[in-house]
Amino acid sequence: MRHAIESRGLTRMYGRAVGVVGIDLDVHRGESFGFLGPNGSGKTTFIRLALGLIRPTAGAVALMGHDAGGDRMAALGEVGYLPGELGLYPRLTGERTLDALARLHPRPPSERGRLCAALELDQAALRRRVREYSRGMKQKLGLVAALQHDPPVMILDEPTSGLDPVIQARLLEWLASRATAGRTVFFSSHVLAEVEELCDRVAMIRDGRLLFTGPLAELRRGHTRTVEVQFAEPVDPARYAVAGVSAVEVEGLRHRFALAGDPKPLLAALAALPVADVAIERASLEDAFRDLYEGPPPAT
Amino acid sequence: MRTILALAAERAWARIVVLALGFGLFELVVGLSYASVDQNAIRQLVDALPPALRALAGSADIATPTGYAGSGYLHPVALALPAAAAISMAAAPANETEDGVAELLLSRPLQPARWLGAHALAMAGGLAVVVLGGYVGGLAASALVDDLAPVDPGPLALALVGSYLCFLAVGGVALLVAALVRSGGRVVAWASGFVIVSYAVDYLARVWSVAEPLGPWSIFHHLDPPAVLRTGSLGPEDVAALAGLAAVATAAALVLVGRRDLTP
Repeated sequence: MRHAIESRGLTRMYGRAVGVVGIDLDVHRGESFGFLGPNGSGKTTFIRLALGLIRPTAGAVALMGHDAGGDRMAALGEVGYLPGELGLYPRLTGERTLDALARLHPRPPSERGRLCAALELDQAALRRRVREYSRGMKQKLGLVAALQHDPPVMILDEPTSGLDPVIQARLLEWLASRATAGRTVFFSSHVLAEVEELCDRVAMIRDGRLLFTGPLAELRRGHTRTVEVQFAEPVDPARYAVAGVSAVEVEGLRHRFALAGDPKPLLAALAALPVADVAIERASLEDAFRDLYEGPPPAT
Repeated sequence: MRTILALAAERAWARIVVLALGFGLFELVVGLSYASVDQNAIRQLVDALPPALRALAGSADIATPTGYAGSGYLHPVALALPAAAAISMAAAPANETEDGVAELLLSRPLQPARWLGAHALAMAGGLAVVVLGGYVGGLAASALVDDLAPVDPGPLALALVGSYLCFLAVGGVALLVAALVRSGGRVVAWASGFVIVSYAVDYLARVWSVAEPLGPWSIFHHLDPPAVLRTGSLGPEDVAALAGLAAVATAAALVLVGRRDLTP
């Protein structure tokens, strides 16, 4: 298999309840991939299936070419994972926790020092017991534990949760640098700004089914943006009423309307009209996501 | 595996030390109390007891030093302390699943059977420390009370080996439950239920002839410290039954844990 993560028809049912259904997903090696969806949409179920922590009802998933079911140990040797709900030994110090988890991984913890510095997890903090840590400190410890081996595939479930904005920015910077170095970053998030900053491609999941997979630009292209045109003389809106144009508001010579889909037919229509000025707002990622989340339920 | 073993031991050592000290202290107090009783009075008392109460002491003639010392290892407190050690340590994998630690550990290249196996070894080790506490307590009592001089260290050690195997079987059953559920509380409930039912079956088999054939199905049927102290030997069939149950339950746990979901 060519991909860092590759799933085919991946399905997990919990009795009659849906975990995920028929997920076909390829995450390329060396890309930063955002995995988005509301709570309970199946993000964590997909991640646990990919790691072989739970078994699929149907379908298969592979990590770096290793089947998560049959060749799980080889697959996990390539992965650094941060769970969404992080469980740690409360009585251990931070340092002992990192040492113990490092011993369970075949790759040396070569990035620990740099990560601790970037995330401001100093020696004094590492000498304290985990039960004394704040939520943010635990998250930092979990991140260092997951990434200290500089794994080829980083699977992070809500990695910025509980971190302050400065540390969030440093983490994203660090992840971007690892992606540049050829590592694969797969992370789930609710924060669209960080997805936009880091990711090449995204997948959106709802009710256990994939709604969209592709580059962010493609997601934007398919969704509504606002167009404002200033004409030099009065114009009948019917003259530019191409496919995708809706909700036209006219105030004198200024026309404001929504445009969905490809803008080329509109631009061609406007070229034949006395346009004084035109402004097309970039499609909002939030709107695009909202459209998908609030749209009709995915087909079964 | 060594890492998980060390983590499990680190998590449980304080509890194990407390249980070992408690067991030792209890056996010491039981032994010391022998100096203050009239053996003839005990014999008369035992003879006067109805069979239902006499059965609580197992096969022991508690008027004799070995019978008295041996019955101290059948007292409910002496059964509860090692049972608590075995069950609580065997419940650790389910606790780790419940609090999310297992997800962190098992997302590393660590075979679930090795993870559970490390917990089984930790349980066996922790239980050994608690049972050793009981042995030291009994040994100290026999050294301090002249009337308990017939209680030799060798047979006492053999009696404690029997106790160890009995509670290793309890730990094995608890580990089997831990391989199937994701909550430490459920492991404790099921394993405690197993101990209580087993105790009840053994008791009924002793006092009610109709239930007598059920006796060998109880682990406590195979636990008889007074007999070991009296005869100086451990019944091979008892060793086989207890060690066999421990081995089969643990092996089943190791197989089953690899075939189930490791997280919710």
